[in-house]
Amino acid sequence: MRHEPVYWFCLIVAPIFCLVFFTTLMGAGLPTEMPTGIVDLDNTPTTRQIVRNLDAFEQTKIVAHYANVTEARKAVQRGEIYAYFLIPKGTTAEANMQHSPVVSFYTNNSFMVAGSLLGRDMRMMSELASGAAGRKVLRARGATDAQAMAFLQPIVIDTHPIGNPWLDYNVYLSNILVPGILGIFIFMLTVYTFGYEIKNGTGQELMSLARGSLIKAVSAKMFLPTIFFLSVGFLMIIYFYAILHFPCYGGIWRMLIVMLLYVIGCQGMGIFMFIVLPTLRLSLSFASLWGVVSFSICGMSFPVIAMDGWIQGLSLLFPLRHYYLLYVNTALNGYGLFNAWPYMAALIGFTVLPCLFARRLKNIISYMKYIP
Amino acid sequence: MKRFLVLFREAWRDWNYIFQREMYNIFHDGALLIFFILVPLAYPILYTLIYNNETLHETPIVVVDNSKSAMSRDYLRRLDGTSEVRIAGYAADMEEAEEWVRKRDAYGVVVIPATMADDIANMKQTHVSIFVDMGGLLYYKTMLLANTEVSLQMNREIKLMRTPGLSTRADEQAVTAPIRYEQVTLFNPSSGFAQFLIPAVMVILLHQTLLLGICLSAGTERESNKLYQLLPVHEHHHGLIRIITGKGAAYFVLYLWNVVFCLGIIPHVFHLPQLSDAIDVWAIAVPFLLACIFFGMTISGLIRHRENCMMIIVFSSLPLLFLSGISWPWDSIPRFWQLFAHIFPSTHGVRAFIKLNNMGASLAEAENELLWLWGQVVVYAVTTIFTYYRGLVKIRLRFPAHKTDSAVRQ
Repeated sequence: MRHEPVYWFCLIVAPIFCLVFFTTLMGAGLPTEMPTGIVDLDNTPTTRQIVRNLDAFEQTKIVAHYANVTEARKAVQRGEIYAYFLIPKGTTAEANMQHSPVVSFYTNNSFMVAGSLLGRDMRMMSELASGAAGRKVLRARGATDAQAMAFLQPIVIDTHPIGNPWLDYNVYLSNILVPGILGIFIFMLTVYTFGYEIKNGTGQELMSLARGSLIKAVSAKMFLPTIFFLSVGFLMIIYFYAILHFPCYGGIWRMLIVMLLYVIGCQGMGIFMFIVLPTLRLSLSFASLWGVVSFSICGMSFPVIAMDGWIQGLSLLFPLRHYYLLYVNTALNGYGLFNAWPYMAALIGFTVLPCLFARRLKNIISYMKYIP
Repeated sequence: MKRFLVLFREAWRDWNYIFQREMYNIFHDGALLIFFILVPLAYPILYTLIYNNETLHETPIVVVDNSKSAMSRDYLRRLDGTSEVRIAGYAADMEEAEEWVRKRDAYGVVVIPATMADDIANMKQTHVSIFVDMGGLLYYKTMLLANTEVSLQMNREIKLMRTPGLSTRADEQAVTAPIRYEQVTLFNPSSGFAQFLIPAVMVILLHQTLLLGICLSAGTERESNKLYQLLPVHEHHHGLIRIITGKGAAYFVLYLWNVVFCLGIIPHVFHLPQLSDAIDVWAIAVPFLLACIFFGMTISGLIRHRENCMMIIVFSSLPLLFLSGISWPWDSIPRFWQLFAHIFPSTHGVRAFIKLNNMGASLAEAENELLWLWGQVVVYAVTTIFTYYRGLVKIRLRFPAHKTDSAVRQ
């Protein structure tokens, strides 16, 4: 094992690279200063104030003024700006005359994160501008600010995002993406460990070393990778919750247990993949394809409840799905582990899955010939 | 002249041989078939099926109605009527509501204050609180959208109620919304997930399967080869350019179909945006494929065992998707990672395809990406030549040229 660089790559280098990659890429938590354009056809002190206010929003950065909508659209298509704000000619005059002018904002939702965040800023800006105009009128009639606000916005919505009040994307994505990549490596390396024996024709040797005991053979082969994967997994948990201070209301030790179950669950799944397809390249293909689909089907970005029924069922066959549910339960919502016992049971199920096929595994290791 | 013709015919024979041999290898290797043919066929369908419902509808929520007034009932009725959320149940207090969230029967809680009706009657602001499960941002988005929508609607009506004597519609508008606004979501009107993600995933898929296939094929070549080299010792394997273009052409021809399927048929069948001309798509697909092929052939020089390339390439799909700037905006990616992203053809391939296909841009707007892609083609062609040149030199050293033809046939 020491002489195989690929082991070190999968065990240590790549998972840690991903840990650093995702947490630094999204280190800001929320994208800030996203380039935005302005089409101000009115160009009065009032509209210029609106533009300045919009620029002051954290996520928005006004980078250009365009003479008309076509130019702004071209800039969006060139990828220079993600959104633009249109103030038609005569807006100020109409507002003063209480004619309710319309301002519009255009967001490019091909880039969903940028589009929706900028849309939120511009919506709020429009509300404020409208509120300011309304307050002006009401104050002229002798109302106080509080009265004016109560008149303009009788019902207010207070939002409380449980566990991630900053809507931090780093928290939202890194928490699952990095363990997901660890899962891919566990699948692949587990398959590789056994497939390599077959490829080198050393299966029988392995079994005789273990004196014919499958349990001894498997546990000996799995011992070191388990230690390494667990160390990397625990490192992730500590890095997320103790160093980056991602929210973890259930306590770090609970997440360590979740990670432990996830690692051994993935290993069980890896052995199962090898049992299904004992040819190294085919089982590796299986492992990699299963691992990559995990990200989409685990429901972290697109909720599983929005998928079709049969895909909802399929999602249960992916260890990452259960890890994700346990993470939401434990770290974000701060509930006890036993509240989420079905997912823990599922991960343990993955771990013991290969036991059901022990006889077949023994046969494969002992007698299977490598066919190039 | 005659000598030139002889040379040309020989080169043509060699080229044909290499091309056919590569094709033969591809169709007689299970793993290569998986990555070159099966994955590009099955994955797009699977991914599209996962994301096909585009947005979250009817998210189950639970309500704590402390007001129990006509007004709060009105609010909740309207909330239930939105397409975004569905009231799954009523709880007596926050504790009971949390029980719903805990069991994942609801993904959000709406709390109506006890004072709602009084507040409104006394011309005070009233605060409706929403609590959202943050396991997914989409829960938050739908919950906020639905509540904002309902509150704006009711606010408008409350204002009208409080301002008697409005005669015209224009008067009404002046009171309810001194400045109105409209949001136009360009290019992805429903903010759908499939529309946003699938086109990018298709390009990454082409990139990754191409790299995997090329590296697997190179790894097989090495393993079946006595000298453990990238190239077999063979009478037809001696022109450097012949070898590279022969192999490259095999991959290119194979991927012509994959491009048609992933970038043409899939968006068409699943009603995803398809705003560009086929010709424009080919104008980026050709340099993209060439860049990927040469990039793949370059890194295949580093692969010792054929299985190892899977370990290296498969996991990188996700970082590559993020480096393309489709999810986390490009302008917010730290400078270092931006530079890193320029190494990979996928970055510019994704961006160019999104511009053309999703945003209906013309080639002129994607000029920057096109330049990058062609630049990569040139750079990686040079590195490929270097890689294969080294391979050839190693073989020549072991087997001087005049012997290769007869002595060492495989």
